Amino acid sequence: MKIRYVLVSILGMSLLMGGCAQPPADQINAAEQAVKDAQQNGAATYVANDYAKVEGLLAAMKTEVAEQDGKFALFRDYGKAEQLAATTKAEAERVKADAAKKMEEAKFGAAQAYQAAQATVASTLALVAKAPAGKDRAALEAIKTDAQALKASLNDVQLLLDKADYLAAQTKAKAIQEKGEAVSHEIETALAKIGKGKPMARKK
Amino acid sequence: MFHRIPHVAASLWCAGALTLSGSLAACVETVPPEMVEAIESLDRDLLQLQAGEMAPSEYAAFVHQWVTLRNRVEAEEDTIRWPWEPNDLEQALRDLQAEGAKAVARLTEQQEAERRAAARQLADVEERARAIATQVSAIDSRLILAEKPVETDLLLKRARAFYEQGRYEQSLQASDRASHHLTAQSALLQRELGRYASPDRIAQWQRMARETIEWSKKHRTSAIVISKAERSLTLYRSGQKLVSYPVRLGFNGINEKRYQGDGATPEGRYRIAGKRGRGQTQFYRALLLDYPNQDDRRRFLNDRKKGKIPALRDIGGQIEIHGVDNELMAQTLGCVMLENPQMAALFERVDNGTPVTIVGALLEHNSVERALVNLSTRRNEV
Repeated sequence: MKIRYVLVSILGMSLLMGGCAQPPADQINAAEQAVKDAQQNGAATYVANDYAKVEGLLAAMKTEVAEQDGKFALFRDYGKAEQLAATTKAEAERVKADAAKKMEEAKFGAAQAYQAAQATVASTLALVAKAPAGKDRAALEAIKTDAQALKASLNDVQLLLDKADYLAAQTKAKAIQEKGEAVSHEIETALAKIGKGKPMARKK
Repeated sequence: MFHRIPHVAASLWCAGALTLSGSLAACVETVPPEMVEAIESLDRDLLQLQAGEMAPSEYAAFVHQWVTLRNRVEAEEDTIRWPWEPNDLEQALRDLQAEGAKAVARLTEQQEAERRAAARQLADVEERARAIATQVSAIDSRLILAEKPVETDLLLKRARAFYEQGRYEQSLQASDRASHHLTAQSALLQRELGRYASPDRIAQWQRMARETIEWSKKHRTSAIVISKAERSLTLYRSGQKLVSYPVRLGFNGINEKRYQGDGATPEGRYRIAGKRGRGQTQFYRALLLDYPNQDDRRRFLNDRKKGKIPALRDIGGQIEIHGVDNELMAQTLGCVMLENPQMAALFERVDNGTPVTIVGALLEHNSVERALVNLSTRRNEV
């Protein structure tokens, strides 16, 4: 009789143990990793709204897991959490891909803007070099300083590109190009005023 | 009796059917579909307001709640309830809808406030930059600022671009940096040109001019006093003022001359060391000054010791009072330039050895002092 009770107890316990659901640890980890990857690939910068949504999904998944964890073992059901983990992972991967695409677009845009700015500054400096030497150059001295400052600021764009801060690089390059065009125009006006001038390099 | 039984059964059946259909008609859906649509629409509004950027944690919380509730909505899609049955899902959705609507209103207001703040600050800083440029141009001090105006201009252009892209926070940051640059420009001008507002220095310049005039009186001969701030050359004969002419200076003329090529016009006591007539100068007529004098050489050597002079730079020379080669030239490389008819008149009235005193300013309230006061006022306003 005693043996029968023990056997029934063991059977009951094993049924209970088998019936206890476990959280889908692998899926949860995979979802968390996917969100982390998206974040590391610039999702928060390039697709901020989509990334915030993914963070919301991740939080929802965690809440669902915590809710199930809080229940009596026999009543736990991680099906919804598993589903949320899968959705989060899929969304995070999509967002990561979108971020990479956007980043590539920004990189291309920044590189193009940088090239345009370089070309403008080069032509500005060429105009400065064309200016006559000697007294007639006086009117151009201030403009020359501006052109040199523009040349120096191109280095900042390169630094931003090196840091993969493409949006900032593009904005700065465009500003340099715009300013370079204005300075070139100023030089052309000054040169038109001065004319050919008479080169006369002397002490002053 | 036998005929009545089927009548009763039919009546009972009819009553049962009516009750059932009445009950079914009274049943309701768990969640009205229009409520789900309303929340979806709020989500779209939040995305349009860039909630993910402006309030990331708040938006993530909204999404979290929405995802959780939507799962419940899907799970309970086929469930029907009695109207009197409590419906916590509907209540939770109502709460979320209310929260979402509040967030949309708050973000709309926040975005508008940020836009207004960015626009106001940008306009203020742009206006301040224009005002500084005007003052700097009025006293020909652009070179003192070196590359700073370009850096400021680039920041303002970026602030404007960010504003136009709706990135108000970045616009505010860029215009704030531009504002700091402008403050630094004002400070630099105050430091470099502060002597024009110094009563002691002005008194010293006035004394130098007085002594030159006294010398002219004592020796019954000509003397020239040039004031850089007033942009004027005055000729004296026997201590009496004969004539005053407007002059143009070096491209960095307002500054103190330190070395060759700096574009500054020197300050000090000089003499005419040579007269160059027609065919001897590019500039119609020229009066060569004996720059550098002993004071200039002493100052140059001191500055060199202190590392204030760039390597390989000489002290310079060939400073002249001359006429105009090209009417459109506004500045010189450091000389003093007069219109040709006035140069001709001056040329005839002076000789080798005539003293020429060049000072910063003779008046306490001179053009540079006024520009510095204006800059300082604007800085205080900011």
